[in-house]
Amino acid sequence: MASEAGTYLYAVATDLDKPAPTDLTGVSGGAVRVISHSGLVAYVSTVSLDEFGEEPLRTSMEDLDWLSRTARTHHQVVETVAVSAPTAPVRLITVYSGDEQVEDLLRRRREDFSEVLARIAGRWEWGVKVYAEAVGPPSSPETAPGGGEETNPGTAYLKRRQASLRDREKDRRHAVAAADEIHETLSAYAVAARRHRTQDPQLSGRQEWMVLNGAYLIDGDNGEEFTRILDGLRKPGIQAELTGPWVPYSFTVTADAAGGPDGSG
Amino acid sequence: MESTLKTQPNRLRLDANKSAVERDLSRLVLTLVELLRQLVERQSLRRMEQGELSDEQIETLGLTLMRLDEAMKDLCERFELSPSDLNIDLGPLGPLLPRDR
Repeated sequence: MASEAGTYLYAVATDLDKPAPTDLTGVSGGAVRVISHSGLVAYVSTVSLDEFGEEPLRTSMEDLDWLSRTARTHHQVVETVAVSAPTAPVRLITVYSGDEQVEDLLRRRREDFSEVLARIAGRWEWGVKVYAEAVGPPSSPETAPGGGEETNPGTAYLKRRQASLRDREKDRRHAVAAADEIHETLSAYAVAARRHRTQDPQLSGRQEWMVLNGAYLIDGDNGEEFTRILDGLRKPGIQAELTGPWVPYSFTVTADAAGGPDGSG
Repeated sequence: MESTLKTQPNRLRLDANKSAVERDLSRLVLTLVELLRQLVERQSLRRMEQGELSDEQIETLGLTLMRLDEAMKDLCERFELSPSDLNIDLGPLGPLLPRDR
């Protein structure tokens, strides 16, 4: 059963026999250490199970400040180690009961990790979010066509709603088609592509409706070309937002699946 | 990064604070009323388009829906709710109401 301390796993990277970065600080202030095994290195730090045990996590996961602090640190560690070697980030907040468990993971999943790392070596992830531009406000009640407003206000209201819903439906289809086209073209260029669930406006912080949330794995030298291709696909009515290059979070699923807190609770 | 998705604050959580409970409950009730209103509106439009309704029926339905819409706006104002507050994220099913009504 788990003791007081757990091992927090950030990422698994190819072991290039380079000295590991020593000055990295992990979540909740612990120093980042390295566990080497089977040609792989795991970046870990020791965490207290009072904070990272299953029970306390249930509450802290709802604490947005705690979560964003943790996510930032996690991401920082991943970004730093990814500069020097192909790196597969592990899902946020993956805690093992001890170093032996991480070693065991590297041993058991060596082939999976090596495969993933070979695929992402020298490549970066680019994110493309496409938004349908906000359409004008629903046709305002003042501009009722036909002047039938006074005699048949109810009918006029329904007609207006009908027109407004139809416009929206048309805009929506247009935006979805544009998003599909962008995704197809970018996927054809990318080494790999994934389409994530589109985000709620609350999360994306934008009013517009998101129609594409894509991730593309691009060779290190091809970032500029990728940007150019996207620019060529921009058109009125939609907004495309490009982010990157990122550590290929979206293309390390195998490593991801190996994660998941186990044995800690 | 998916974890951040799951942990966004639950927008319809009930706070133990009394006035907050009242507000959240009104919001929940208004959300359901708005859902029904939109369903009826769409159903009416469909039947109107299919020619199943007489002019008189269309007028009555339209008037009723229009007044309900106005009443909803008044109520939202009174409870200081915006249209986007009257929505529930159903996770993989998307939002309960269309986002851009």
